[in-house]
Amino acid sequence: MRSERYIPYVLILPSVLFLLLLFAWPLVEALLLSVRGSGGGWTLENFQRMAADLYFRDALKYTLLLTVVIVPLQVVMALGMALLLGSISKGRDLFLYVWTIPLGISDLAAGIVWLAIFTERGYLNSFLQGIGVIQQPQLWLSYETPMMIFVAVVAAEVWRATAIVFVILVAGLQLIPKEYSEAAEVFGATPWQRFRKVTLPLLMPSLQVALILRTILALEVFAVVVVLGGRNLPVLAGEAYFWYNTYQNPGVAAAYAVIILGISVVATLLYLRLLRSRQDGVA
Amino acid sequence: MAGIRVESIEKTFGKFKALSGVSLEVRDQEFVVLLGPSGCGKTTLLRIIAGLEYAERGRVWIGDRDVTQLPPRARKIAMVFQNYAVFPHLTVFENIAFGLRMQKVSAEKLGAGVERAATLMHIENLLERYPAQLSGGQRQRVAVARALAVEPEVLLMDEPLSNLDALLRLEMRAELKRLLIESRTTTLYVTHDQVEAMSLADRIAVMNTGYLVQFDEPMKVYQEPANTFVGGFIGSPPMNFLRLPVEGRQARIQSLALDLPTGVSSQEVLLGVRPEDLEAHTQQQPQSFPAEVLVVEPLGPHLLLTLSFGKQHIKATVPPDFDVRAGQTLWLRPQPDRLRWLDPSNGQAIPMR
Amino acid sequence: MNLRLLYLLLAVVLVLWVLTPIFLITTLAFSDRASVFAWPKGFLPQQFSLETITFFFGVEGVWKAIRNSLVVAAMTLAFSILLGAPAGYALARYRFAGADSYRVLILLTRAFPLAILAIPLAVQFINLGIYDTPFGVALVHTALALPFAVLVTSSLFLGIPKELEEAAWTLGCNRIQAFLRVVLPLAIPGLAATAIFAFVISWNEVFAATLLTLRERTLPAFLLTSLNDSPLPFRFAGGFFLIVPALIFIFIIRRYLFTLWGIANR
Repeated sequence: MRSERYIPYVLILPSVLFLLLLFAWPLVEALLLSVRGSGGGWTLENFQRMAADLYFRDALKYTLLLTVVIVPLQVVMALGMALLLGSISKGRDLFLYVWTIPLGISDLAAGIVWLAIFTERGYLNSFLQGIGVIQQPQLWLSYETPMMIFVAVVAAEVWRATAIVFVILVAGLQLIPKEYSEAAEVFGATPWQRFRKVTLPLLMPSLQVALILRTILALEVFAVVVVLGGRNLPVLAGEAYFWYNTYQNPGVAAAYAVIILGISVVATLLYLRLLRSRQDGVA
Repeated sequence: MAGIRVESIEKTFGKFKALSGVSLEVRDQEFVVLLGPSGCGKTTLLRIIAGLEYAERGRVWIGDRDVTQLPPRARKIAMVFQNYAVFPHLTVFENIAFGLRMQKVSAEKLGAGVERAATLMHIENLLERYPAQLSGGQRQRVAVARALAVEPEVLLMDEPLSNLDALLRLEMRAELKRLLIESRTTTLYVTHDQVEAMSLADRIAVMNTGYLVQFDEPMKVYQEPANTFVGGFIGSPPMNFLRLPVEGRQARIQSLALDLPTGVSSQEVLLGVRPEDLEAHTQQQPQSFPAEVLVVEPLGPHLLLTLSFGKQHIKATVPPDFDVRAGQTLWLRPQPDRLRWLDPSNGQAIPMR
Repeated sequence: MNLRLLYLLLAVVLVLWVLTPIFLITTLAFSDRASVFAWPKGFLPQQFSLETITFFFGVEGVWKAIRNSLVVAAMTLAFSILLGAPAGYALARYRFAGADSYRVLILLTRAFPLAILAIPLAVQFINLGIYDTPFGVALVHTALALPFAVLVTSSLFLGIPKELEEAAWTLGCNRIQAFLRVVLPLAIPGLAATAIFAFVISWNEVFAATLLTLRERTLPAFLLTSLNDSPLPFRFAGGFFLIVPALIFIFIIRRYLFTLWGIANR
């Protein structure tokens, strides 16, 4: 009976093998693919082609810009929603459900939904006409108005993916015993002080998780941008797609993949370092 | 029905030695309580007997079967868990029937078995309910009924009453006692509650830090603790231990001299005496020694006194109408036939003779 | 009192923020062609029509894409549960050397945009002959869903007291019987939620699906690749159809949302 020690290993083995084959191996493979030349030798040719490409700088710029704008916006909004939920007693479940609906909506669908709003004969123009700001439909999503595409992408992403942050934060808030905040209140802390000194530090692990998750997802933003802007607002994942599909060049696509993976790892490490919570040692 | 025998069981968790060579024998139809503070290894020992843990060394017999290597299902045991472990997705009937169904008994036997166990635990009117619809006490009854239904050779109980509130615990304790006298099932029962142990057990096995310290009838364990640990752990308030100088074959408490058993050669000796075995007087008495009252705690049936004797503290109980105040000096007369002598160097009792 | 009203107002505004775009796309999906192109548009539906929806389903390849999406999502669901639940059970029930390393491996997958890995995989899939098959896409989608499945099922099994299983063992069950008779019935709702979640992840994924297919497109891949040469009504109907199952799924698993995401903290 003592030989039961092997049981857990048997149970995790399939998933370990799977992850090795479909996570670890392709990671290595992406690297290899990006530094392998057409002749078979080692080369930086793919990276050079990528860097020389007209779209590369814009793609890098817009990807980072989108991340920097979207992620903080989502975190602040989700935090506000999570705290707001705490002060609502009636209809709490209903609000909770409606606010989390976007969790199930894909980036592609979100892009299409906001296309209906921002398109030439869309709801935004109809609304602006209705209040008398414009007479003729405005073209928002053209190559001449990258800023407007940017705004539309931000709107769609905030609309779609704030819910994930919200749910993570609400779950985190539920783990914080009420007594802490109540104790602070007994000692005369104002609501703002209670939030700053008690809730926020205890919420740090959840915030860390939410930030990492959202940043990773923002760095691979793709479908929303493609739907709303085509290639008029180039992003890294989109370029990888175009190089693979349209130009049939896996090497350069892999170079893009390596760039995205690299930025993701750096971002994750940065979050882990900057937001290291004091509880880490205990956990 | 069968007895249980465990032989020099050793078990470690990582670096922690949970059991250091424990041997124990429970006779057929006997009710033995494993008593000890948390972490003493009592639950581990029970789980090893159940087959839920495996010992690094030692053997376990149930009846004359060596079950050391058998899985729980083959040991013909039943167990009642601390948190009841009643299956929440099954009705009370199905819970009780669970073990019988695993034995694939006939439908009539199954019905009869469930009914017998349910009647024994007075839950025959709850059979259709789900555990969520039951109170803690009722769930407890289901857990015991489920264990009894399989007519185990040995019944193992892991702190079954500890999750009940005080009043219910008292009631269930009396009922368990009645039940187990009736069913005559060999039972090994784990608890950290010394009152529970005293009230239920035929014999108590006191454990501490992975060792079996004393194994005897309740009153023996109470009156003749094997060492300072047992004397301190059993009884509330615990036994007093007074460190006394030895003069010849006597120990001195001020003017009082008490005869020692033979074989004491050390300079000092420990006197173990229960608080109720110290008779308190306001006036000097023969065969007594003076102590100053520090605290008086009225506990209802008696007053609990904390007194100082030199640098040592003594607990004593006196009748509730005894007129005493802090600061007063009382004369304490130990009951001569209730004294226990222990070796101060290792805390072990010195055999009386 | 006023503060309370303000909170409620804010909450309602957020509800409108979430629901209005869904309402608008629904309106468009159930309008006729003329209303979709109308200018200016009214915010309320003009007239109910199935023209747009019918047109969408009439486009060649849509049904095939839907079928592929369902097949891929079903495979992802099955793979995630079959691979993830045993691992979750092991993490929940056993202390074993390597458990922590395994947890790190699972968490590590979160630090990478996994869909991007479709690029190197596409090359390998061609060699292996599973490029442009639902199976190949499902493999990548499983990589996305598996870490979730492991963590969620692990917390799920942790929530089922070990003593229940032990009680079953003492009552005559072997390990498998105890699992089937006691643990599984209690875990089924949570497992179902995990499964649905895996399904939704797959149903929604577009990058890998597009990269790994040519003819055997999933619905998102099909929509994305035909964006440029398809009229607006087609896109809107497609967007609407993508949203509907997701909405239903989220409704079904809403009780488990916090189990699904809350464990991200552990």
